[in-house]
Amino acid sequence: MIREEAIKIPFQYAAGTAGSEFLINLRDHRQLTGSRCSDCERTLAPARAYCPDCGREGLHSVNIGPGAELVSWTIVPDKGVFALVRPDGADTAMLHKLLGPIDDPQPGIRLQVVFREERSGHINDIEGFAIVQENGE
Amino acid sequence: MRPVAIIGTGQTNHARCRDDVSQPELVREAASRALDDAGLQPADVDAVILSNMELFEGRALPELWVGEGAFANGKPCMKIATGGTSGTSSCIAGFHQAASGLFDIVLVVGFEKHSEGHTQTGMALTDPFWDRAVASGALGNFALSISQYMAERGVSEEQAARVAVKSRRNAARNPHAHLSDANATIEDVLNSRLLAYPIHLMDMCPQSDGAAAIVVASGDKARKLSAKPAWVKAAATRHEQPYIGDIEQRLLTMRTLRDASRSAYATAGITEPLKQLDLAEIYEPVTYAELAWYEILGFCAEGEAGHLIEAGVTGIDGELPVNPSGGVLSANPVGATGVIRVAEAAAQILGRAGAHQIEGAKTALATGYGVYAWADAVILGSAV
Ligand SMILES: [Zn+2]
Repeated sequence: MIREEAIKIPFQYAAGTAGSEFLINLRDHRQLTGSRCSDCERTLAPARAYCPDCGREGLHSVNIGPGAELVSWTIVPDKGVFALVRPDGADTAMLHKLLGPIDDPQPGIRLQVVFREERSGHINDIEGFAIVQENGE
Repeated sequence: MRPVAIIGTGQTNHARCRDDVSQPELVREAASRALDDAGLQPADVDAVILSNMELFEGRALPELWVGEGAFANGKPCMKIATGGTSGTSSCIAGFHQAASGLFDIVLVVGFEKHSEGHTQTGMALTDPFWDRAVASGALGNFALSISQYMAERGVSEEQAARVAVKSRRNAARNPHAHLSDANATIEDVLNSRLLAYPIHLMDMCPQSDGAAAIVVASGDKARKLSAKPAWVKAAATRHEQPYIGDIEQRLLTMRTLRDASRSAYATAGITEPLKQLDLAEIYEPVTYAELAWYEILGFCAEGEAGHLIEAGVTGIDGELPVNPSGGVLSANPVGATGVIRVAEAAAQILGRAGAHQIEGAKTALATGYGVYAWADAVILGSAV
């Protein structure tokens, strides 16, 4: 005998101190925020309460982006192009979408963050990262 | 710490859907087979460790519902959870319990019944802010790393496909495997459905229903109970920060597996893995990962993995057979998958691996992989 059932599971997550700062700066100032670790001398993206590698707390917030570099990418059929992008001024990458047109993207190409007009304090206040054309547009 | 050994293993017949049994019955199937293999009765078991992926079956506290299936009533029983590594970590916890003198006989059982829940939902419940909100669980752990790995190390889609062919063909010798095909070809893999570039369906591990168990014994008990125990020579585990953006070259560097294996090699006195290991049962959730692990585990130099698979070095008749059982690509009940790696390595040392037995196997490596955030390495040998 087989019993079929579906369960709806609501959640409510706290972004935490650093995550909230990142999301508020994104919503109110169209600004990406990273955290500078003075121990390992890296700037982490997005902002953190502590360095994930060396453990240091009390990191300094710094502005990163709006330019960025493509680190790696994949195409998921029917879902879009996802990428790891390293915002200028950051030493680590963020996961987000790559905006079209996309023709054979290569690691290292230049990108620019694209913000949405309507923003609510959500990572998708970033629409994605667009490839910067060579003529500088 | 006392020496410890594995004296019995048991596996279910893994399949896409085992709706002929309930979860505890599935666990019982593997647990009974392991005890039979060790020549023990349930009363001989001092403690039980369970491994399972919470949420995949849509049932909270899986250990609560299946412990009795593993003969745990009236005994110490707990679950170990480290993602996909849970199975190997549970085995390592069992080694520690016996080595410490806490218990003499520890039964370790891993299980998963993917068919009963919605694995994709479980997998999608990642970090809600920076991961799930962007990708909605659409991304596996690999797609973003593979394009990098291919570019950096010159690995081709055809070389990766050879890993899947080896897996399916080896699995044809393994009665427990979920997927097997003695006639699998590179074209079959390349022509299978594209999941996320460059991963095709046959590059990826399946979702299986299944369970696996091992019986861990203290050295004294192992000598009494087994003519040819599989001795634990080394076991190491490492954790890593989880955010996918923090470590840009994950597949290339895989610090967890590199450090865990180096630690285990040092303990076991292994300086030339390709020569000193008789076989390896590695946790390869995707073909490209198996190639990357060849390099990380020191089977070859960086950039040589594609050559290793092409030359048949890791084939079942090669210098270092990798996954003679068919590996994770051929059976993947996740909570059990790590236990299967250790059980398969142990069965080879015990000389009970059947049609995929590597003749005269004396030293074997088993590894675990958990979403990049964990890796385990276990080395078993025929002598203490
Ligand atoms: Zn730091």
